[in-house]
Amino acid sequence: MKIKKYLKVWFLLTINVSQIAFLSRFGAILFIFGKILRFSFFLIFLILLQAKTQSIAGYSLWQIIFFFATFNLVDTIPQFFWREVYRFRSYVISGNFDYFLTKPFSPLFRSLFGGSDILDIPMLFLSIILIVISATKIGDISVMGVLFYSILIFNAYLIALALHIITISVGVLTTEVDNTIMLYRDLTQMGRIPVDIYRRPLSWILTFMIPVAIMMTFPAKVLMGLLSWQWIIFAFLISGVLLLLSLKFWQFALKNYSSVSS
Amino acid sequence: MKKYLLVAKNTWDETVTYRLNFVMWRVRVVLQLLTMYFLWLAVLPPNTTVGPYNQSLILTYILGTSLISSLVLSSRSYGVGDEINQGNLSNFLIRPINYFLYQFARDLGDKAMNIVFSAVELTILFLILRPPLFIQENPTYLILGICSAAIAMIMYFFINFLLGLIGFWSPEVWAPRFIFITVLTFFAGGLFPLDILPKNLFLIFKFLPFTYLLYFPLKIYLGQLAIPEVLQGLFISLVWAILLYLAMKTVWELGLKIYTAQGR
Repeated sequence: MKIKKYLKVWFLLTINVSQIAFLSRFGAILFIFGKILRFSFFLIFLILLQAKTQSIAGYSLWQIIFFFATFNLVDTIPQFFWREVYRFRSYVISGNFDYFLTKPFSPLFRSLFGGSDILDIPMLFLSIILIVISATKIGDISVMGVLFYSILIFNAYLIALALHIITISVGVLTTEVDNTIMLYRDLTQMGRIPVDIYRRPLSWILTFMIPVAIMMTFPAKVLMGLLSWQWIIFAFLISGVLLLLSLKFWQFALKNYSSVSS
Repeated sequence: MKKYLLVAKNTWDETVTYRLNFVMWRVRVVLQLLTMYFLWLAVLPPNTTVGPYNQSLILTYILGTSLISSLVLSSRSYGVGDEINQGNLSNFLIRPINYFLYQFARDLGDKAMNIVFSAVELTILFLILRPPLFIQENPTYLILGICSAAIAMIMYFFINFLLGLIGFWSPEVWAPRFIFITVLTFFAGGLFPLDILPKNLFLIFKFLPFTYLLYFPLKIYLGQLAIPEVLQGLFISLVWAILLYLAMKTVWELGLKIYTAQGR
């Protein structure tokens, strides 16, 4: 029953946000076009790089494209569902966050799921199409590989969720959100290519400290049969711990919230 | 002239006031730089080449784009569109101030701050990473490179201002800018040196203004162009600068005719 209520709230908020997004159809079309353009340009860059250097750290062209497509899927879904995080600062500095706290549903849910960005849907489809094409070209894909790929993608969303919760918690405490979320985006951009390409200690930092590798590289590697079971367990451990810590941090932030301007 | 210097100084002070914002912005710039740096380091081991670039030249190119970006691409004139849409432009039209020079002075203040930070960041990165950099010792190439970067800076100001002028006709000023930045990153050579593209494609790029914003000044610095090629490139970029200036003036005058100070 509760899930039904939350789904309805999410749906209504998404309708509202979508209506605002399409107030200027010209702008909406340009934004979608820009996202597709950005995606295409980096793809061209990777193809060019592979053509000029024969192989990128031992990976074939289709493997590199598969990594990139997986990155896009992992990158786009959080943007689609948790776009409200990008608007969160305005709620805190205007004092409107107080209304989230007084409503009869979770303020965390309202802060994260306050309206999905439908302008990301074309990018989602594009990512999925590219994943299917590149996986087919790589060949030798097992059912277990696909299963673990899906599980690790879900695991990546848990990590992304934890990082988004940490971002809005920082926002509640300091009113700083925009730079933190863009910093998260820049860090995850490092996962557009397999993270093991980077030299140590950077590749270690991106695995153990900021889990970009677990989010972006691990799912693709498991599908290719390049990831051992120890790493899979490690991935679940990291997401579990991170999610738990983020929820604790959110509780801490709420306890210290002092209603900025209302 | 004094008042425009004051505007530039105010922009500098403004940046210092919102320190955290600026520092976070620079952290993002460094992260983006490191991504490209390590990518190229991985795909181009020592003793290998991509087109005319060995590892030392490509790393110099990638680190050089950061410095040139601070000079050419850092800007405050992106706010022109919003000022038109909110009617704030009226404040400037009734004052004894040249709006172009005002915006250019703001750009200069912003560039000064970004260059200082960029230089410090690159020094720190150099000390940590110890990359095999190429140092240009020929003063002719250094002077020509600086000239090219100066023209690029002016060209970028005109392009940026032109984009802001969309505000006279449409409230949607950010979507075109989003597309512009996407195109710019690729076409200006921010991801890779443009001459590794297929030859026919690069020939087309040579006549586009974007080529002369990042790629061309760095290519001069690397000493990979003969002097006649450099002069030809400087001529093309000058022609673009003049054309963009004329376009900016014309669009500005057309825009003023329909400006209604909406929002004030």
